[in-house]
Amino acid sequence: MKQTTSAPRPTRVAAMLRDPHFWVPVAVLVAGLLVLGWIT
Amino acid sequence: MSVDAAASAVETRVADALDAARLRRLQALGIFCGFTAGAWLGAAEAPTKLVTIGVSPFVISLAMVLGVFLARWSVPALIQGTAYVGADLRQAPHLVVWAILAGCLWAVANTLTIFAIRDVGLSIAFPLWNTNSLLGILWGFVFFNELRDAGWSRWLGVLGGTLVMFAGATLLALASSTVATRELAFRGVVAALTAGVLWGTMYIPYRKAYLSGMSPLSFVTFFTIGEVAMMGGLAIGFTGGVAPLWQELARAQAVLFWLLLGGFVWVIGDLFQQYAAKYVGISRGIPLSNTNQLWGLLWGILVFGELAGAGRGTYGQVIGGSLLMALGAGAIALASATGREHLRWREAAARESRRYGIDPEYVAARMAGREATTAPPRRRWIDWLIVAAATAVFVVFAALAEVPPLALPWARVALLALAMLALLGGCGWTLWRATRFS
Repeated sequence: MKQTTSAPRPTRVAAMLRDPHFWVPVAVLVAGLLVLGWIT
Repeated sequence: MSVDAAASAVETRVADALDAARLRRLQALGIFCGFTAGAWLGAAEAPTKLVTIGVSPFVISLAMVLGVFLARWSVPALIQGTAYVGADLRQAPHLVVWAILAGCLWAVANTLTIFAIRDVGLSIAFPLWNTNSLLGILWGFVFFNELRDAGWSRWLGVLGGTLVMFAGATLLALASSTVATRELAFRGVVAALTAGVLWGTMYIPYRKAYLSGMSPLSFVTFFTIGEVAMMGGLAIGFTGGVAPLWQELARAQAVLFWLLLGGFVWVIGDLFQQYAAKYVGISRGIPLSNTNQLWGLLWGILVFGELAGAGRGTYGQVIGGSLLMALGAGAIALASATGREHLRWREAAARESRRYGIDPEYVAARMAGREATTAPPRRRWIDWLIVAAATAVFVVFAALAEVPPLALPWARVALLALAMLALLGGCGWTLWRATRFS
């Protein structure tokens, strides 16, 4: 059987949780909700 | 295929599908979409100006978002069909999370602007949240390789153009301020700046989706779920519960149509904004869409007589601000991405393909504005049902609507509407010819 050199690919969820493109909008959303709560 | 091979496959396939002439054509198309977006986003305010009775700002926002929801499902169903959206979803299901996240960011930002206008007035609030374009440039550079290897002239065009537009926006906002500016309130400034940060960050999901190959028409159908859910939650929270909100909506029954219509017009503008973000990136797409302020003012002056009786100084601000905005937008339009910069975009797309296991063929084809398959899914009966249902909702509310007793200059309304329709027809046709709305 031919050996593959491919690195194991993480699941989409694992990849998402390691992705700064996910955490930056989440952090900004939480901050926005906090500011809204403070204003009201 | 190894992950690295998959990544290089994206770059090779995009290079095959996207020669210099095609790249120039897509860049010009993206810029055209940005200007068309500005016209339609600016006009979205016009129907809401017909709402003269005292309706809560949250009810106004929620009703507009409901119009947005109807449009965001019916327009994609009409143009491409839900099967097409489903096929996109199977390629990159993770993007649903980003679409909903972006919708939530939009709703919170929109609510913050209500408080910002209340506390510091439109003249201060508008330029503050328009700083979203500067943040868009930052995120585009940091996360998606935009403006990398672009050369100093492109940097000057984009950054300089954005700053000039910011100055123009400040002048226009000062001139168009119809509310007496209250004492500068720290709270209002924070609200406006936070709205700008939220809107600037909202473009991270946009750009990620389009570098991954998703069609804008597919992305917006999921975006609107976050938008409606968050706006609904905020409206319930701020009006004191479901029952008080329902009562307010029932009281506003006669004007709901104008708000739904405003939401519909806004969606048309936003769709072009999405295509601009796809083909010229967020660093150029956002500032070009921000020309909506210019169009909003044009409607205000020509149709609603907002500056009637204003002094020469105010008109000077309007002319100066408009010229600055046009100059800034022109500088950005002339600073489209070069082949070298586009190579860096391909690296970012390859990274998304590698990270989430998206088919490189699909990513490459969509980046070149083409379909990965020769026979994309066709429309089905359910698509016609969605279109018919959305149309029926609009017809019902139109039947309930009352036309406010305003003497509008219909010739000017017709002129502006013709200009918008010409942009819609011209840009829509060009987009169809070049990309089939992919």
